[in-house]
Amino acid sequence: MASSILKTEKLCKSFSNGGVQQHVIKNLDLEILEGDFTVIMGSSGSGKSTLLYALSGMDKPNMGKILFDGKEIQGFSNDELAVFRRGNCGFVFQSVYLLDNQTVLDNVLTGALIVQKNNAELVSKAKELLKKTGLHEEDFKKYPNQLSGGEAQRVGIVRAIINDPKILFADEPTGQLNSASSKDVLDIFSDVHKNGQSIVMVTHDLKTALRATRVLYLRDGGIVGDYRMPVYGEADLKERRNGLTKFLEDMGW
Amino acid sequence: MKIWRLSLFNLKKNKREAIGIAFLTLVTTLMLSIVVSNQKKIDTAFDESFKASGSVDTCIRINKDKYHDAFRTILEKDYKVERLQEGRMIYADMTDVRGRDGGIVSYNMIFVVEKVERKMESFIKGDQLPNSEIENLEHPIWLPSSFEIVKGYVPGDIFTVLKGGKEYPFEVAGFYETGLMSNDGGSFKIIMTEDDYDLFATLFQSSISAECIGLFFDAGEDFDFEQYVNKCNEAASENVSLSMTHYCYRYEKENEITFLEIFMMMIIFLAMVTFVASLFLIRHKISNDIEDQMQQIGVLEALGYRSKEISLAYLYEYVLAGGCGAVLGGILAVLITPIVNFGIRMMMGRNVVGTNGIFGVILITLLVILIVVLFALLKARQVKNYPPVIALRKGIKTHHFGKNVLPLERYRGNVNLGLAMKGFLSNAKSIVGVMICIVAAGTAILFSALTFDFFKDDTKGLISMMGTDTETIHVQLMSGVDPEQVKEELLKIPEVRKAVITHEGTNISVKGSSNDAYATVFDDFANAEDIWAYEGRCPERDDEVMIGLRRSRTEGIGVGDAMVLEVNGIEKKYLITGVIGSLHNGGTTIYLTKEGYERLNYHARANMLIVYPQKGVELKDLEAAVTKHFGGSAKDAIGENLEATDLEAKVKAATEEKIATLMMQYGVTDLDYAVQVGDQQLIKGNSRGFVIKEITSYEGIIKTQMLPIARTTKGFTFAALILIAVIVAVILYLITSGDVRRQRQSLGIMKGLGYSSKDLMTQIALKQMPVVLVGILIASVCAYFINQVFWGALFATIAETNWLVMIFTDLALAVFCYLVTYFSAGKIKKISVNELMTE
Repeated sequence: MASSILKTEKLCKSFSNGGVQQHVIKNLDLEILEGDFTVIMGSSGSGKSTLLYALSGMDKPNMGKILFDGKEIQGFSNDELAVFRRGNCGFVFQSVYLLDNQTVLDNVLTGALIVQKNNAELVSKAKELLKKTGLHEEDFKKYPNQLSGGEAQRVGIVRAIINDPKILFADEPTGQLNSASSKDVLDIFSDVHKNGQSIVMVTHDLKTALRATRVLYLRDGGIVGDYRMPVYGEADLKERRNGLTKFLEDMGW
Repeated sequence: MKIWRLSLFNLKKNKREAIGIAFLTLVTTLMLSIVVSNQKKIDTAFDESFKASGSVDTCIRINKDKYHDAFRTILEKDYKVERLQEGRMIYADMTDVRGRDGGIVSYNMIFVVEKVERKMESFIKGDQLPNSEIENLEHPIWLPSSFEIVKGYVPGDIFTVLKGGKEYPFEVAGFYETGLMSNDGGSFKIIMTEDDYDLFATLFQSSISAECIGLFFDAGEDFDFEQYVNKCNEAASENVSLSMTHYCYRYEKENEITFLEIFMMMIIFLAMVTFVASLFLIRHKISNDIEDQMQQIGVLEALGYRSKEISLAYLYEYVLAGGCGAVLGGILAVLITPIVNFGIRMMMGRNVVGTNGIFGVILITLLVILIVVLFALLKARQVKNYPPVIALRKGIKTHHFGKNVLPLERYRGNVNLGLAMKGFLSNAKSIVGVMICIVAAGTAILFSALTFDFFKDDTKGLISMMGTDTETIHVQLMSGVDPEQVKEELLKIPEVRKAVITHEGTNISVKGSSNDAYATVFDDFANAEDIWAYEGRCPERDDEVMIGLRRSRTEGIGVGDAMVLEVNGIEKKYLITGVIGSLHNGGTTIYLTKEGYERLNYHARANMLIVYPQKGVELKDLEAAVTKHFGGSAKDAIGENLEATDLEAKVKAATEEKIATLMMQYGVTDLDYAVQVGDQQLIKGNSRGFVIKEITSYEGIIKTQMLPIARTTKGFTFAALILIAVIVAVILYLITSGDVRRQRQSLGIMKGLGYSSKDLMTQIALKQMPVVLVGILIASVCAYFINQVFWGALFATIAETNWLVMIFTDLALAVFCYLVTYFSAGKIKKISVNELMTE
């Protein structure tokens, strides 16, 4: 049985909107297991992204505990969280968020050099990973605005995994991609997962969710459904889709 | 939507930046307004005060024993002078006075009686004691009103003149409006009773301090004093130029307002630094804002707004911020008029009753606003370069197709430094503006620091630039006394570190020059401690001379040129071997070797010793020790003789005079005497009292003349230092906070990648450092040259750059810039990474 890598206890997150307190996450208990590809789904405004940012140390909860590898992180200062993130988390954003003024390779290295110091090793690792995602040597010197959406997201994934994070977080990584690019990107996620990478991803998309081993459904700030699937494979795709669709329908999706 | 609402929104959103711009324009307007509204006032204040005194515009003072009636005739016949007046006056050179606080200060003073004063001017009295009280005063004097204004004297104070070891206290009856002879740079004219005048006439009888004849008249601007002196020389059949001194309206005005004008120039310089910074910042911020709000611009354009209308939004924003600052600056300039008037009054020593110059203030305020409008308009027009499609795509600017500067692939070392340098090189275009600001502000800071350091010990710095060994006492010997023997004895005194034999300087005529010279003579200039050639070297042979920088500049002569000197009709040619930055005697001093001086003045014999104190020994203690050792100077003895009232003193005085005669006529070198009645020794003494003729020191007069200026300059430069530091902080804050706002998404991404706020703040601070460091380096060079020009223009001397202070200030400035930038980037901390990315 896989061990727990991330756990929340009575997690709460609220925002003040015009003086009115909006409780987005309410007393949420959750456990993420090592090696799982967890997808969080839910309707708009259900708190998916908020939960993801809280779990990844991008944002602080108002109450409750977050235990990462058994260590509480909810009380960390912003700078402690930054240090925590650089060592443990990788993040793939819906809008990619590559640094405009840096080349593909520099974007990847910017994320890596803060953690690792051996530049030569990092460069070769970055290039290897970029190549694995389908990018070519000549793309490495390109700037983000010279890349297609899919290419940019692949760079984003490499940047997120270059430090071998304990968990890879992804917020709607295919949300702005066409279907062909989406498939390429999801294939990368599947490959990474098969190599043992724990992944927590937020998505609206059924095709994306199909890649998961576990689907959590969020409603009104709490987990209302937890659906498990075997590791993704093309062979049982139909059965997999049916099962997930049924689960989601049950959840009111 | 009304376009100005966008301006208001931006102002509200960027309150601190708007306040920063307003602050800079406020400072600019304030400083420029002070200059514009007071420049004229300084001019007119002097003129009005001079006019109110009813003074003639010219006075020529001639030593009484060199005076000829022909001098009057020349003025009346050759110069058609009407209403020429003549009167007696005593010139007291570098004479000690016990100040109000009990301390000793030295002044150049002119003593006259009321009758003579009324020939010179109207004797308009100011504050005074009641007439009934004045009538009962034993020794009343009237002081120039500057004593009341600057030195804080009040009627009834005691003004004590120290001469010959005696104190001569006078009661200040009151003050009077003074035309000529009213400042530290020249002389102070003091009015006394006939009896006191007669007493002083017997006290002051040296070649310099002596009774003189004054000729008073209105000569106008064109009077050629040099030509007049030549005519007097002819009429007297001897060179009387060294015995004549010229006082006139122009010199008096220059003495009193030169420093004020220099301060005004410094204020203009500061104002310009601030204004350049303001304009650059406005430009930088508009550019940033446009880039930042590019999509918003695109939307507005898509909705049908013309680029001109959108440009106006930025224009309004900066005109509002800058305009508020300028108006506040103008108002402040008017409000502080009394303080400025007080400052001018203190610097000039004359009453200032000027208006607040409101017209000038309004003009400057409008001018500042106009320039801000023009500058903002020019930059805001940049909007038209972005049609909707480009604007919606965040402009072409954000697209990079250029060379990857400093690729991380090849980078070794600290990643924060690497990313900072990468960011710095990617924004090379904005470097120029930041550089201009840093260079301008850095120059002002470094110049202020150097000047402040120079004046930190008040006049000590100036004393070191005199071009003479000032921290010494000059022991003038009685004629016939062997200086070598005195030197040996001096060296036995514990307070004495060194003694150098020299000549008592004599005034020397310089052929082809209207500036006579005063010679400083050393056997070997290696023995001097503060005399060093700025260019060339000190004289070593008897046909070599070193001159002051002022003479070099005004007469266009320098190393390698020849000059002909003349004393008592004997002319000798000398080769100029060096130029020295010298304040001594207004920079007219020449430096000769002992042989060189004796070649010109072969009657002269070394009769003076320059005595250097041991470390930590005050000059007054040194003088006391020397006086104690030698039993007092002959000069003191003469004073005592005059004041002797009882029989013992009269016997002592008569004995000492007899001994003095024996010494000078018969070569008696050592003699003790005693008057004994029964077993009691009533009077005793020795001949050593007559070894020393007089002990003098330059330090006192320099301190008196320069202390107020030194302190004012010190205060001013310190204030400037603080002000510019605040300006630098505001500039860097505005640049940095603008950068953080503009790059908030990138910074958010970086935070997401695990960079802490401190990492990012370090990167932002480091990013500015290359510009800051290069800017400081350029500023150091500029400050060095400005310092040279400042001292050259002010005193015709060479500024000694204190490299330690320069380096320390450079480092402090660099650290200051780093810290200000670092903490200005602190905004990053307040925004969570989530907000940074999703904002």
